[in-house]
Amino acid sequence: MKKMWLIGLNTFRESIRKKTLYIILIFALIVIGASKLFSFLTAEEELKMIKDVSFSAIEFFGALIAIFGSLYALSGEIERRTIYTLLTKPIRRSDFVIGKFFGVSMIIFVNFILASAFFIGLLIFKKSPPDIQVFKTLLLIFFELILIGSITLALGTFTSDAFNIICSFFLYIVGHLTSYGKELIERMESVVMRGLTDMLYTLVPNYENFNIRDKIVVGLDVSWSYVGWTILYGILYLCIALEIALYFFEKREI
Amino acid sequence: MAIIETKELTKHYILGKKKIVVGLEKVNLEVNQGEIFGILGPNGSGKTTCLKLLLGILFPTSGQAYIMGKPPYDVEMKQHVGFLPENPYYYDYLTGPELLQFYASLFGIDSDTSKKRIDELLELVELHNVRRLHLRHYSKGMLERIGLAASLINDPEILILDEPTTGLDPIGCRDTRNLLLKLKEQGKTILLSSHFLSEVERVCDRIAIFHRGYLLATGTLDGLNKQYQAENLEDLFVKTICTFDNQQAVKTGEAT
Ligand SMILES: Nc1ncnc2c1ncn2[C@@H]1O[C@H](COP(=O)(O)OP(=O)(O)OP(=O)(O)O)[C@@H](O)[C@H]1O
Ligand SMILES: [Mg+2]
Repeated sequence: MKKMWLIGLNTFRESIRKKTLYIILIFALIVIGASKLFSFLTAEEELKMIKDVSFSAIEFFGALIAIFGSLYALSGEIERRTIYTLLTKPIRRSDFVIGKFFGVSMIIFVNFILASAFFIGLLIFKKSPPDIQVFKTLLLIFFELILIGSITLALGTFTSDAFNIICSFFLYIVGHLTSYGKELIERMESVVMRGLTDMLYTLVPNYENFNIRDKIVVGLDVSWSYVGWTILYGILYLCIALEIALYFFEKREI
Repeated sequence: MAIIETKELTKHYILGKKKIVVGLEKVNLEVNQGEIFGILGPNGSGKTTCLKLLLGILFPTSGQAYIMGKPPYDVEMKQHVGFLPENPYYYDYLTGPELLQFYASLFGIDSDTSKKRIDELLELVELHNVRRLHLRHYSKGMLERIGLAASLINDPEILILDEPTTGLDPIGCRDTRNLLLKLKEQGKTILLSSHFLSEVERVCDRIAIFHRGYLLATGTLDGLNKQYQAENLEDLFVKTICTFDNQQAVKTGEAT
């Protein structure tokens, strides 16, 4: 356990010193900051706008950080051959994979916290301190980001970087379109096609489950039990992703 | 008793459907406790492949490898092994001491001991004056030096070094040589690969010559020189390899 932690910390430390991921964070902050420029309407509409844009920015730029952070955490270590030395230390390969997951999660967490703090600061500045619904939305976004990161990590154990990026973004987009997907499937004529897409539908993580911002922004409430079940759903998928990563990395020649 | 041992160790790199590169072919190697053992061979002869197989970075196509009687994936065994890869490359954004500290922590060395040890090692490889320099600003030889220090961080019983002196200046080479001899005095076992024959001649107790993945000859220098009627290591090296190539040529000649 301790060794996974050490590997995670090292991954995190490197990402801080490299600063590349923080450029993405700066973009997120700019978008959040700019959100109040968009509105020339009533104070209430302005607030809606700020929330809507900020949630989207935190989610989207967070996803970029999760994908590129995970990608680099694994293939950076392989490409620059630092992994040769690392794996000859008394660590298991599973320590390495889980350690990388910890590291990436830390990177995601810190970026997420910074962006969220900025957003909450803006709300307070606008004299509308965030309610519990805002925190629920953020909490689910965070779990979505962790899941996105772990999927990229898993893909990285058996694919090339280019393929990994394409796959990760494909899953990110499709994972957000699943509700449309369901309708599409029901309209399909061919049974085979329907079966296939149905399978794909169940395999692809439904990121849209984590998206409650549309409701929150217009003032609807989302229950804690929904939040709880969605987090559980996320953790389940995450475990599958890590299991896949462990399976492939155990056999991988570097 | 052999502390490092391979049995019919074979590695074929599969590059395509019908494209296979022989990395190592049925190699039986034994390294005894307390000796310095040198692996020689032309480029692409399988030296690095052999060392990587021993440490579990690669998986053998067939055959087995053991260090202290343990297979390459054994975590406990690695506690006693130090490894310096070929052209080592480390985390760009760490300083030398940070790198050593990271590895020390993976060995579970407590921080008081590791602090002392890191100071000693930096002194030993003469990097104590660049403590705050990030590794990305290191020169090739400096990386080699920090790599050597890193491989010694756990005070290993067994040291596996892939070309430890490439990139080092003459003084660095001499220092490394003396260091290896000193470590041997302390009872450590060292397995190294090298292209510097004079170096190997001076430090190694026994050597092995690899060529195209085959182990052509192994033994003490004197023994091998007598066996092959060679005058020195260079002569021996050339003779074993030419003999092998000629035999191969004859074989393929017969086949066609
Ligand atoms: N990852 C790999 N994929 C395919 N072939 C490889 C791979 N690594 C090594 N080889 C092949 O295996 C053979 C042995 O390579 P190896 O690196 O073990 O040689 P070496 O003796 O260390 O050479 P050098 O003195 O240049 O370091 C070579 O023919 C090489 O092309
Ligand atoms: Mg080599």
